[in-house]
Amino acid sequence: MAKERKFSLPFTDFTSTKNNILSQENKTADSSPMLYKTNARSLLVTTAVVSWALLLANVLFSAHRLREQGVAQLSLPFLNNLLVVVFLVSVFLFQRLSTESLKGVDFIGYLWNLFSKAAVAAYVSVALFLGYKVMTNYADAESPLLLHLVYQINFGLLVVFLAKAFYIWRQLLLYHKNKFLQIAWDWFELLLGAMLLLTIFNFKYDSIIFMPLLALIGFYILFLCTNLKWVAYLTFSNKSRSLVLLGAILLSCYIFVRFFKGMENNPKLVVDYTDVGFLLLAMMFVGAYTLAAFLVSLFSLPTSGVFEQKSEDLLNFQRLSQSIQQGQSEAQVYDMLFESTIKASDASASWFELIRNGEPQVTHLLNIDVDQIKRIRHLLLAYNIHNIDYINNNLNRNPGFRDLMLPWKSLIILPIKSKNYLSGVLYLLKDIEQGFDRETVNVLRTFTSQTILTIENLRLIAESLQNERYKEELKIATQVQDSLIPKKFPVDSWFEISTHAMAAKEVGGDFYDFLQLSESRIAIIIGDVSGKGISAAFHMAQMKGIFHGLMQQDMPPSEFMKQANSALSRCLEKTSFITSALYIIDYSMKGFMFARAGHCHTLYYNAMMDDVFYFQTDGLGLGIIRDKSYANHIREMYYDYNPSDVMVIYTDGIVEARNEANEEYGEDRLKYMLQQTYHLEAEDIKYAIINDLEHFTGPDNLYDDQTLLVIKFKPVEPNK
Amino acid sequence: MPMKITNEIKDNTIIMTLDGELDASSSVMLDEELSDPEIMEYSKILVDCKNLHYISSAGLGVFISHLQRFEDAQIKLIFYNMQDKVRNVFEILGLDLLMTIVSDYEEARSIANE
Repeated sequence: MAKERKFSLPFTDFTSTKNNILSQENKTADSSPMLYKTNARSLLVTTAVVSWALLLANVLFSAHRLREQGVAQLSLPFLNNLLVVVFLVSVFLFQRLSTESLKGVDFIGYLWNLFSKAAVAAYVSVALFLGYKVMTNYADAESPLLLHLVYQINFGLLVVFLAKAFYIWRQLLLYHKNKFLQIAWDWFELLLGAMLLLTIFNFKYDSIIFMPLLALIGFYILFLCTNLKWVAYLTFSNKSRSLVLLGAILLSCYIFVRFFKGMENNPKLVVDYTDVGFLLLAMMFVGAYTLAAFLVSLFSLPTSGVFEQKSEDLLNFQRLSQSIQQGQSEAQVYDMLFESTIKASDASASWFELIRNGEPQVTHLLNIDVDQIKRIRHLLLAYNIHNIDYINNNLNRNPGFRDLMLPWKSLIILPIKSKNYLSGVLYLLKDIEQGFDRETVNVLRTFTSQTILTIENLRLIAESLQNERYKEELKIATQVQDSLIPKKFPVDSWFEISTHAMAAKEVGGDFYDFLQLSESRIAIIIGDVSGKGISAAFHMAQMKGIFHGLMQQDMPPSEFMKQANSALSRCLEKTSFITSALYIIDYSMKGFMFARAGHCHTLYYNAMMDDVFYFQTDGLGLGIIRDKSYANHIREMYYDYNPSDVMVIYTDGIVEARNEANEEYGEDRLKYMLQQTYHLEAEDIKYAIINDLEHFTGPDNLYDDQTLLVIKFKPVEPNK
Repeated sequence: MPMKITNEIKDNTIIMTLDGELDASSSVMLDEELSDPEIMEYSKILVDCKNLHYISSAGLGVFISHLQRFEDAQIKLIFYNMQDKVRNVFEILGLDLLMTIVSDYEEARSIANE
C-alpha cells in the first residue's frame, strides 16, 4: 500500500505538469492565429510600402535619365517587374486577410466598406491628375518627374482599390456557396496568380498565343459574375442604397480604366502598367461583377417588395408557431394574427371579433368605426353568411353592400374555428376590387389555421395544468382514505390477523375496520360500496362513521345491519348499495357472531374437522330495500371456533379478478389456496393467496378494489 | 364487449334480451331502457339473461333502483336463462330472494301468467 503511494505521487506530479505544459501549448496555439495574422498584416503593409517606394525611386531615376539622355527605357527592368509583383502580391494578400474578418449579412456594410476605403481612391487620383494638369498649365512647363510621381501614386491607388474590391466581391460571390463554386473560385485565384509570372518574365499578354487564353478567362469571369444570391436578400430601400454605391464604384472603375488607357504607350513615361496582365484581369473581374450587381439590383428592384412580403410572412408564421414556447397568452396570439394578416393582405381596414360565451365582441379594429361594423354585421346576418368563410371581391355588385355606401370594394371573412369550437372571426376589407386574390387568401388561411393550432395548443396546455391540479387533489384524497383504514390491529395472544388492501383507482370503495368492544370482544367489519372512485370513497367514509357510531352501543350484528340499512337509505343514491359483513369475536366464549349483508361468503377452515368451507348464509345488501322490511332479509349466525381455525374475509375484487383469458379467479381457487396453506401463520396465508392471485391475473391487471383479511385463532396460552 | 339490449313485445309482455357484459358504461344504457315511461304500460318484463356474461355492481344497482317502482306498479320482473356465474352474483347479494329468477322461458311465462 505504502509502496504504491510512493510511486503514485511522482506519477501524478508528472501528469499534472504535463497537463500544464499541454494547456500552455494550447493557449499559445489559440492565440497564435490572431498574433500571426496581425504580424502578417504589418509585414505585408511594410513590404507593400517598401516595394512601392523602391518602384517610385526606380521610376523617378529612369525618368531622370530619360530627361538627361532622351532614352525612354527603364533601368533594371527585371528588378522593376519583380518589385511590381511583390507590391501586387503584398497588397492583395493584405486585403485577403483583412476581408476575412467581414462576416454576416450586412451587404450594404460591405459595399460601404468598399466604397469608403477604396473606391474614393479613384476620385483622389482624378484630383491628383487634375492638379498636375493645372500646375503644368500654370507653369506652362512639363514636369516629367511630377508626371511620373502622379502616375506612380495612381498606380498604387488602383492596386489598393482592385485588391479591396476583388476580395469584397469574393465574400459576396461566395455567399450561400456550394462546393463547386468554392473550387471554381479557388482556380480563378490561382489563375490570376499565374498571370503574375507573365509580368516577372516580361511576356506580352496581348500576343497572339495568349489571346484564346484571355478570352477563356473572360468567359470564366462572366460565369463567376452570375453568382449574385446576396442581391435577393436586399430589401427595397437597401437595394436603392446599394444602387448608388455600386454606381459610385462603377464610376471608380471607369476613372481608373480611362486614366491608364489614356496613359498607355505615352512616350513621356518610362513605365506602362497596362502591360501588367494581372491588373487587366482583376479590373475585368471587378468591373464585370460590379456591373452585374448593379444591373441585377436595378432590375430586381420592382420585385423586391414581393420577396420582402414573403419573408415577412414566413417570419410571422414563425412567431405564431413559437408563441407557445414563449408562454404567450391567447390575446397576444390574436394580436399577432391581426397584425400579420393586415400586413400580408395589405388590407385597408379590418376588425376582429372574439367569441365570448357565444357573443361576438370586437377586440381589434383598424380604419373602421363601430357603426360601420354594426351595419356590415347586420347585412351579413341578413344574408346568413356571418361566421363562415366568405370572400367578396366586388362589393359594389351586391345591392346590399352598395346601399351601405362603404369605402371598400373587397371583403374577406375568416373564422378562427377548430373542429367544433369557434373562437373568433377576422374581417379584412380592401378599397380595391379583386383585392383578395387566391395567393393572398392562401396566405391568410395559413395564418388562421396556424392561429387555430396555437390556440388549441394553449388550451390543451391549460387543461393539462388543470388535470395536474386534479391529480394533486386526488393524491390528497388517497392519503385521506388511506388514513381511514386501520394499519394496526390490536395484537393479542389468542388471534392473529393479516390484511391486504389495494384500490384500482386513486380512491376506492372497499373498506375494513375494527372496534374493541370490551376486553374479550372485538368487532371486525368489511364492506364494499358499489361503483368505484370518488363517490364510492365518500360512501365508504360514511360507512366507517356508521360503524363507529352504532357499535359504541354494542349491538348484535343483525341489529347493526338493520340500523345501518336505515341510516344509509336516507343518503345513498338510488343505484348505489353497500355489501358488508360484521363479525363480533368473543374470546371468553371462544366463538363469534356474524351477519352478512350481501357480502362475499366467508371462507373458513375448521381445525377440528380439518375442513375448508364457505359459510352459506342469507343476507341482503344494504340500501337495496329501504324500509323496515329489510329486517326480514338479514340472518345472524353464531359459531364456536377452535384453536388453529382460519377465517378468510375478502371483497369481490378478489374472486372476480380476471386473467387475460377473461376467466374469474373464483371461490373454488380461493378455497383450494386455503386448503394448501391453513397450517401457516395468518401473514403467510395472506401472502400465498395474494401471490397466487397476482400470478393468475398477470401484472397491471387491477380493475376492482381488492381487500383480504386473514384471521387465525391461536391456542390459549396456559399462563393466561 | 359492448352490451346489446333488444326488446320484443308480446301482448302485454316485454321480453328484454341482454347480450354482452353489463358494466358501468352499459348499465347507463340499461337504465335508459328501464326508465322509458312506455315500459309502465306493460304488466310483465321478462329478462333473457342467456348471453349475459357478467354483471357489475353498477348493473345490479340499475335493477335495484327500478325494483320498487315496478313492484308499486305491479309489474312483474322475471329473469330467466341466467348463467351460473351471474346467478351467483345475484345470490351473494341476496337478490335471489327479492327478484324472481327462473331457469327457462316456459317457466318465466307460466309464473308471469299466474
